[in-house]
Amino acid sequence: MKQYFISGSNFEKLVEKFLESSKVFAPVKYAEKNRLSEIDSHNLSAMNLAGFRTVEPFKSCFFSISESVSDYFGKEKKKAFDKLIILGARGCDLEALEVEDRVFGEGEYQDPFYLERRESSLIIGADCTGCGSSCFCTLVGGEPYPTKKFDLSLAPIDNGFVVEVGSEKGAKLVEANNKWFSAATDSLLNLKEKMREITLKLLEEANHNFRYRIKLDESHHRNLENAVWKTLTKDCVECSSCNFICPSCTCFLLVDQKGGEGGERHKLWDACLKNAYQKVAGGANPRGKLYQRLQNRYQCKFDYSYQRLGRYTCVGCGRCIDGCAGNIDMRKIFGELEKQVPLTAKLV
Amino acid sequence: MKNNPYRPIKARIEKVIIETPTIKTLVLRPDETISFLAGQFMQVTVPGMGEAPFTPSSDPKITKTIEFTIMKSGSVTGKLHQMREGEELGLRGPYGKPYPINTFYGKEIYLVGGGVGLAPLRALLFALFHELEYLKKIEVRFGSRTPQDIAYQQALPQWAKKKNLNIRLTVDVGDPEWKGNVGLVTTILQEGDVNVKNAVAIVCGPPIMMKFVTARLLSLGFADEDIYLSMEKNMSCGIGKCFHCNLGKYFCCQDGPVFTWDKIKDIPDPW
Repeated sequence: MKQYFISGSNFEKLVEKFLESSKVFAPVKYAEKNRLSEIDSHNLSAMNLAGFRTVEPFKSCFFSISESVSDYFGKEKKKAFDKLIILGARGCDLEALEVEDRVFGEGEYQDPFYLERRESSLIIGADCTGCGSSCFCTLVGGEPYPTKKFDLSLAPIDNGFVVEVGSEKGAKLVEANNKWFSAATDSLLNLKEKMREITLKLLEEANHNFRYRIKLDESHHRNLENAVWKTLTKDCVECSSCNFICPSCTCFLLVDQKGGEGGERHKLWDACLKNAYQKVAGGANPRGKLYQRLQNRYQCKFDYSYQRLGRYTCVGCGRCIDGCAGNIDMRKIFGELEKQVPLTAKLV
Repeated sequence: MKNNPYRPIKARIEKVIIETPTIKTLVLRPDETISFLAGQFMQVTVPGMGEAPFTPSSDPKITKTIEFTIMKSGSVTGKLHQMREGEELGLRGPYGKPYPINTFYGKEIYLVGGGVGLAPLRALLFALFHELEYLKKIEVRFGSRTPQDIAYQQALPQWAKKKNLNIRLTVDVGDPEWKGNVGLVTTILQEGDVNVKNAVAIVCGPPIMMKFVTARLLSLGFADEDIYLSMEKNMSCGIGKCFHCNLGKYFCCQDGPVFTWDKIKDIPDPW
């Protein structure tokens, strides 16, 4: 695919143009961290595409925290969604987007609320030019730069960006604004590759304590019935911040209330760590213990998802590590799980 | 919103049948006809309050009305028990995979139910009645807490008259009039009831009952893949999106709710 160059000032003009017809979300630096913010003419200059992923994922842009999905028996209303542009989606964010697209878009039934928002969106990815202490995308098969699910992808370089086109939509966008784009020279492309290598090195250094001899799906599956989970999860306080801040956690709950024609149905984010998550009428609870629920979260991300989707649904963004009230670090749990697997497993 | 899977269709309660002190059957007439297959379930909405999954208990061949036999056990079922003829409910579905009835041809069927677990089995029985000529025989084993708690008391003797169909009942606790077996349902699963080499066992009941029935069936010599279990979990969406009903890598709502034992036996404590 052809690659382009756009200067920083021209890119700002492009974003200004986006703002005329779309809502734009992008990283804005605040207290030394990239925060996902809605961009307007006032904070446009604070937009920061360098560094690594934002504190919060952009999943709520497509999978709403809470939304009305039906007023029962009334006439079905057409919902109109804003045109949405996500700027600065990282490699991990886009892996998570793939998971969400598959959960809501595949199978016998689809979620039209998610899909319509996705259809009216444009995704502009960005290479990571840094790495957080909790970043571990490379441990779960990811890369610190966009490889999928983007319309355009930006690699920050000097005074601008090398732009890669990832879709028809992206190609059209470049075409319509070709006065701001020029062909990327070989030296720029080389620079881009060098930057990527540097970021990969940073990740390697940040994770040098975490090397595993067996694959994560295997270390999880082999510990399905291991009582070690009780001790591994003892610091969990059920706050569920890992669920909510995870870009690929998509659990929700349908909740009904009075209103509309007979009643209204809302779809709300839910968290598998909550005690009532699997509770059934009559009070029985298949996952009544907190350790069972946290174990299920790990099994869901590495074991069940691997069997169901052929991939991990953890993307290694490390947001759950940053957000955990009990200071639980997934990477340490992986190591402990591996210790439980007999050494002979190496040969399998 | 086009193809909105969260939207219920309206259904009017046509009749309320009191089965036992804690079980009622609601006969519903939906605005649109509903075709389900035995084993599939539906989400029943109490307007403005919430939804819960139930397997219909009526003959799948009847599409104008649909029946649900419901035990009072939580908030939604509590409200359903208070509702009267003429009131409105919502329905979504049917969801999940049906019993593979055509693979039962030429075999003996061992139906084992506990409590309100007889409800889904009734829909299956009605479906099997249409196929009786292709089946070797049907043996029904059904357990209740007390004689009062036996659902479908009037229909049971009628079914027992059918050719190649035998029914045995048991209760956990008898009363002076009860002449039948007293003991858990496992006590009436006996060697020689069916030829385990050419039979399928279909079980529905509370989790603890299914656990012990499965153990008993295995000891009788049933193959793992010939034991069908109704694994209904807490469900929200019913369409494989919300993750509530996960059972290992499966979603009960899409991959189940009926699983053969070979599929789930490696899941730690699947009950």
